[in-house]
Formats: sequence, structure tokens, C-alpha cells
Amino acid sequence: MTTNESKNHAPEHTPRLQWAKAAPEVYKAMIKLSAAAEQGLDPTIAELVKIRASQLNHCALCLDMHTKDALAAGETVERIIQLNAWEESRHFYTEKELAALELTEAITVLTEGFVPDAVYAKAAEQFEEAELAHLIAAITVINAWNRFGVTTRGVPGHYTPGMYK
Amino acid sequence: MSSGAREFQVPEPVYLSLAGLGAAAKRGLGDPALAELVMVRASQLNHCAFCLDMHLTAARKGGESQERLDLVAAWEESGDTFTGRERAALALTEAVTVLTEGFVPDEVYGRAAEHFTETQLAHLIAAIAVINSWNRLMVTRRTAPGETEWHS
Repeated sequence: MTTNESKNHAPEHTPRLQWAKAAPEVYKAMIKLSAAAEQGLDPTIAELVKIRASQLNHCALCLDMHTKDALAAGETVERIIQLNAWEESRHFYTEKELAALELTEAITVLTEGFVPDAVYAKAAEQFEEAELAHLIAAITVINAWNRFGVTTRGVPGHYTPGMYK
Repeated sequence: MSSGAREFQVPEPVYLSLAGLGAAAKRGLGDPALAELVMVRASQLNHCAFCLDMHLTAARKGGESQERLDLVAAWEESGDTFTGRERAALALTEAVTVLTEGFVPDEVYGRAAEHFTETQLAHLIAAIAVINSWNRLMVTRRTAPGETEWHS
């Protein structure tokens, strides 16, 4: 892989399990669920949400995929880099994007508490009801992909935009 | 209980495809009683009241003992209440549910891989991912236990 060919990087790990092969029906159902979740959701926001959730859940495979997809769709490098500190770089994002990012964090880190009323209310102000429902679904689904990717130790670095289409 | 401010409905295609995913996961795992224990434990960690109500009820209906359901939150300290296979699945459930605090440790994954075939393990991981998805939808919506009007 290009990232470690010449720089003495650590060796690439192997995945623990080829889960899509071991559970093809599950994989197919995930693809279907993903498409249903993102119906009508702003694609720029969808990618930002997927990158941010994947950062929080430490999913290397998902970060590889969604940063590359975002760049291919015209997202800027700067906005992708700043995503990890979006609260301190608010002027890179619209109010609608910020509300989506805040909601993404609350829904992703459920084990530490509920989704605060203020966070939900801000999202409900920025998104009309149908798009909000799909935003919440999209956050839920990237969390599911993150769980597959992290648990099976999917290997980052091999994704090319469009390869699964 | 509900603030009334969270009235979004889970879109029907999302609800149906997530239900289909859950059915595929359970089918491949082939152990409905274990699946319910996993659902209960993840719902405890994610504080999903709706999901706890649903899966505790389903577990009891499926013949699970009240004593085991009482102890599943402290399965590690519950002696031989749970089998080695169940303990491996519960440890994996916890690791896969609390991703934000770290990865899924080799030891936890390795123990699960000892007790489950690759096919079962892939479906167990799927079942954990699916209950985490329901937990996210229902907590975000503040769906009350037993509520039926949550999808369009």
C-alpha cells in the first residue's frame, strides 16, 4: 500500500473476520438499510456525519472510505481536518451542519448519557421533520458500520471511491 | 416522561430494513435465548428503556429465568449463572457497544472466536450492531416502553 511502502511504517494488519462473506444476507441488509437511511438527506451533511461518527468510534476502515468519498464529492481538505475539533472551528460549517454534528456526537456516545434536549432541539430547528428522521437514521447506520469495521478489524488504505457501486 | 419535543417517526423503509437485518442476524446466530441476553445487555449499556422493556419481556416469554435476567448486568461477577459461551458473547457485546472508549480487545474477540464458528460470530456481531441501532433510534426519540406509534 502507498502509505507504508517507503517509510518504514508498521506492517499492515489482517482482518479478524471476512464478515460480509460469513454473513452475506447481513451485508445485503446493511446496504439496503444504508440506502433507506440516507433518502433525502443532504449528501454533504451525510458525509460529514459519517466521518465524525467514525472518528468517535475509531473506525479506520470507515474513515478511509468516507474521507475519500467526501473528497471525491468536492468536500474541502480543510473542513475534513477541522471536523475533529468542529466546536472550535465553527466558522468552517453552516449552522445546519453544526447541529447535525452535535446530534451525531450525542447519538454516538449513548453509553455516557442520553441525547440532551438542547442538542435535539437545535437539530429540530435546522432540519424539517422528514430530513431529521433520516439524519438520525444515518447516524444510527454509520454507528452500525463502525461496529462491523472495528470488531472485525477492517484494513484501511484500500478504498477507492465508487468501488462498491 | 416524554418532553413531547421528539415527534419524529422512524421512516418505514428504515424500520423495515433494520427489522430485516435483525432477522438475518438472529437466524444466522441460531440461538434465540442468547440473542435476547445480548439485546438486554446492550440496551442496559445504552440506557434504552423501550428496548429493555421489549427484550426483557421477550426473554421471559422465551423461558429465560428471572434470576438470570436480574444478574445479566453483573454477569462477570455472577459465578456460573451464565455459561462460558454466554459470557464470551456478553463480553463481546460490551466491547462492541462501548466503542468510543477503545477498540475491541484481542482477548475478548479471541474468547468469542473460541465459542462460536465464523458464521455464528459474524451473525453475533451483526446482532450486537442491530440492537445498538435500535437503541440509538429509540433513545433519540425518547420512545416510552410499550409505545407503538414510533414509525411511519
